[in-house]
Amino acid sequence: MHVDLTADADHEAEAVAWLDEGERGRWEGYPYSGPQRQFLLCRAALRAALCEQLGCGNGELSFETSEHGKPWARVGGVEAPISFNVSHGGRHGLIAIAPGGRLGVDVEELGDRRNLDLLMDGVLGENEHREIASKGGDDQLRSFFRLWTMKEALLKAHGKGLLVDATTFEIPPTVRRGAPRGQLELPQLPGVTLQVEDIGGEEFAAALAREVVPEAGSERAQSR
Amino acid sequence: MAATEERLRKLVDDNLEIEGRTPGSPLDLDRSLSDAGVSSPDIVAFWKVVNEEFGVDISAEQFAEMLTPRDLVAHLDAA
Repeated sequence: MHVDLTADADHEAEAVAWLDEGERGRWEGYPYSGPQRQFLLCRAALRAALCEQLGCGNGELSFETSEHGKPWARVGGVEAPISFNVSHGGRHGLIAIAPGGRLGVDVEELGDRRNLDLLMDGVLGENEHREIASKGGDDQLRSFFRLWTMKEALLKAHGKGLLVDATTFEIPPTVRRGAPRGQLELPQLPGVTLQVEDIGGEEFAAALAREVVPEAGSERAQSR
Repeated sequence: MAATEERLRKLVDDNLEIEGRTPGSPLDLDRSLSDAGVSSPDIVAFWKVVNEEFGVDISAEQFAEMLTPRDLVAHLDAA
């Protein structure tokens, strides 16, 4: 689900009404207008989407965060049987919702970016770095952020986000060559297969990562 | 500490683009970059810039675990 994060006073006033007291405090505490608006509009859209999915009222819905800052939902004080993840970049927000399992989403607005060389050093594996470095201009920027969003979506699905060094794993070669989706295991999460999918558009790079749940009767399902 | 803080503030001004932040404004030492709304690519780039500028070798995991600029200043001053 895409969320339009363009500044709009009426839209923002409507969104504030969805927040609970704690969220309003967090919203008011943001020191800068851009991140403040991104949080407000994404959280209100998340609340609306979860209420629809879970069939609950907004007042029944609350959020907790894991040790590493990943949020999860409660309805009436009970953990909700649903997975979700939220990302925002520039004017674009994305919300992913699934019945369960690990889930991560990431979006980055495409545009001029300083320090691209440093970003490449910071997150790409050796093969990825060589492939992206061989490109130039807009192709390099788009290709880099295609990989970046995939890696960040995977790390968010893992649950620790940037606490994991993204250079320690690479996106599958078929996906790096243009396939829209592929599967892999993170070295930090052995035994768990994650599917990563390119869901980007013209103005933004974006990716969705979700846990591949073994079908009932499969070897892995039987081993649990 | 003040000198390190000033160098960090200048690195923030030169390297982080945050809608609504005026370059040169003081750093909130007790608010994490992510809580201040700094994007994840900017945080990663900032980690690399800090390592270069201060001649240190902070790992990605270490940097992510330093929750606030105050933690980072303390780490750099102790290095």
